[in-house]
Amino acid sequence: MKFKVKFIINMKHIIIIISSILFSTLFYNQQIGLNISIFSVLTVIILAVSNTHKFKNKTTLLYIFIYLLTAALVFIQYTNLSILANIIAFLTLIGSVTESKSSIYVQWYNGIYTSIVGYFHRKFIKQNIKDEDETQKKAIDVLHITKLIGIPLIFIIGFIVLYKNGNPIFNDIISKINFDFINLQWLLFTVLGYYLFSNIFNPVQVDSATNIDLQTGNTLRKSETFSIEALKKEKQLGTILLLLLNILIVFYLATDIISLSTINSTHASVLSSQVHSGIYTLIASIIIAIIIILYFFRGDLNFFKDNRILKNLSYTWIFLNAVLVILIATKNYNYIASFGLTYKRIGVNIYLFLTLIGLITTLLKVSKVKNFWFLMRINTRIAFGFLILFSIIDWDYSITKYNINHAPSLDLNYLINLSDNNAVLLNEYRESTNLNTEQNNRIFTKHLDYIKTVNNRNWQEFTYSNLKLKKLLKKL
Amino acid sequence: MHILSNIGKSSLLAASIFWIIILSDTFNWDMAPYIFLSLIPIYVICALTILITICPIFWFLENDNYSKQRIFKTYFPIYTIIAFVLCAYSIYKSSFDVFALSFYASAYITTTQSWVWFAKKKRK
Repeated sequence: MKFKVKFIINMKHIIIIISSILFSTLFYNQQIGLNISIFSVLTVIILAVSNTHKFKNKTTLLYIFIYLLTAALVFIQYTNLSILANIIAFLTLIGSVTESKSSIYVQWYNGIYTSIVGYFHRKFIKQNIKDEDETQKKAIDVLHITKLIGIPLIFIIGFIVLYKNGNPIFNDIISKINFDFINLQWLLFTVLGYYLFSNIFNPVQVDSATNIDLQTGNTLRKSETFSIEALKKEKQLGTILLLLLNILIVFYLATDIISLSTINSTHASVLSSQVHSGIYTLIASIIIAIIIILYFFRGDLNFFKDNRILKNLSYTWIFLNAVLVILIATKNYNYIASFGLTYKRIGVNIYLFLTLIGLITTLLKVSKVKNFWFLMRINTRIAFGFLILFSIIDWDYSITKYNINHAPSLDLNYLINLSDNNAVLLNEYRESTNLNTEQNNRIFTKHLDYIKTVNNRNWQEFTYSNLKLKKLLKKL
Repeated sequence: MHILSNIGKSSLLAASIFWIIILSDTFNWDMAPYIFLSLIPIYVICALTILITICPIFWFLENDNYSKQRIFKTYFPIYTIIAFVLCAYSIYKSSFDVFALSFYASAYITTTQSWVWFAKKKRK
């Protein structure tokens, strides 16, 4: 039995050492590319070796799929969003291996904790659990070894420095000692890899947060003692407040619809100000709406028999806010139709979409008598899903393609300033159109730089664009 | 809690990490005196960091019902994540300058290890 445990511990160290050498080979002095994909596969293998029983869980299997998908996306798309999605998928997977039943935000918490400090957590557990004598024995051994290495080293370095100044021949010999053949930075990078892999080998959890999360359900419970009189007063307050807010938002929407139908400006500044002022209104409106609804439906008012009017007013308030979202989306659509896509305009659309989902989940919370944690759980899960979904799209390429083909007013300088993912597309556009000399040169230089960068990549930095370029050069 | 011994051990650990990273970039025998001299500022920084950021957590929260181990389990994750974010951000802002990298890496590892030392059960 003892031999078996020792064998497993040794195997663990061998696996981590091999992985850390691979880590250095993949990442030391390299840009992101194929290395992220290989690292992701390596991480999954290590987790599978050390946590085999947890790999039968469906949630964990789903997160493995998502993690590997984002790793493939980094190789194919090579966008910042796909790299961010890959990091978050990594943390989610680690958190899921720790405790698959916890909420996704607790999984992120556990994932971050494990990745940055799992080794120290296990050290703390070991030092407090191990048999006292055994710990003491080991502590003495470690201290002795440290003394054996440290003290002579300090004295030798000290005396070398002293003797150097006293004897020129000794000084010459010492000065000729060259440690350049050892790449210390590579070694330190390998140690970093060892630390990371030893952290994730056996994922750890933040007990307090995980336990509270597992004990907290999604449904609200009726408290045993509550005052009907107090609930009646709260219902009255809620009804009046929501009624007035509904009237106000109806009035605002009516004026907004009138202004949308009367203003027919194609000036960028007018459309931009319309969208942005609408967005600020929307941000304030939605946040206040959700806070008000959460406040009134935080407890026993959900179980109060006479709460029908308050509930209906809340649904109306949510519906009217959804109409506000649609109105701003229309303004944003007009803006995009006239001036093409930009990151800000896409961001507005994404924000509107997520807001709409936030309103729907708030509606679900009220109708199904759920608590605040239900909202947190479902909204963070949806946000994670959309992050993965949006990372599938190569935005720079899509923006360029859309603007070239559909935008009546093309801002070419904006497209040139985007990442190299649109370099080939812009070059094709340059060859087919008569541009001014400055823009022509900028696109030509961008394309040339792109080809140079792609061609100079090491195998660790390869992306799908390397394969595409290879095909293109073969054709030529 | 042996604060002095903890600060002493932490200073040696911080100095080791700090100089290993610096020397991995540029190694020169003439730097040896500075290694010894640097122990003084490193000790001061370690003492201040530990006394200001870690000790108060134990001083204010530890009692008969709330052991050091429980404090560690509850507050260490929050402390370490905040420390990691601050150190990583500072390294990034310095454009991965070797001095900043060695300073913040040693600060992060030392404070983390210091927590583990503080939370160690006393032997009877």
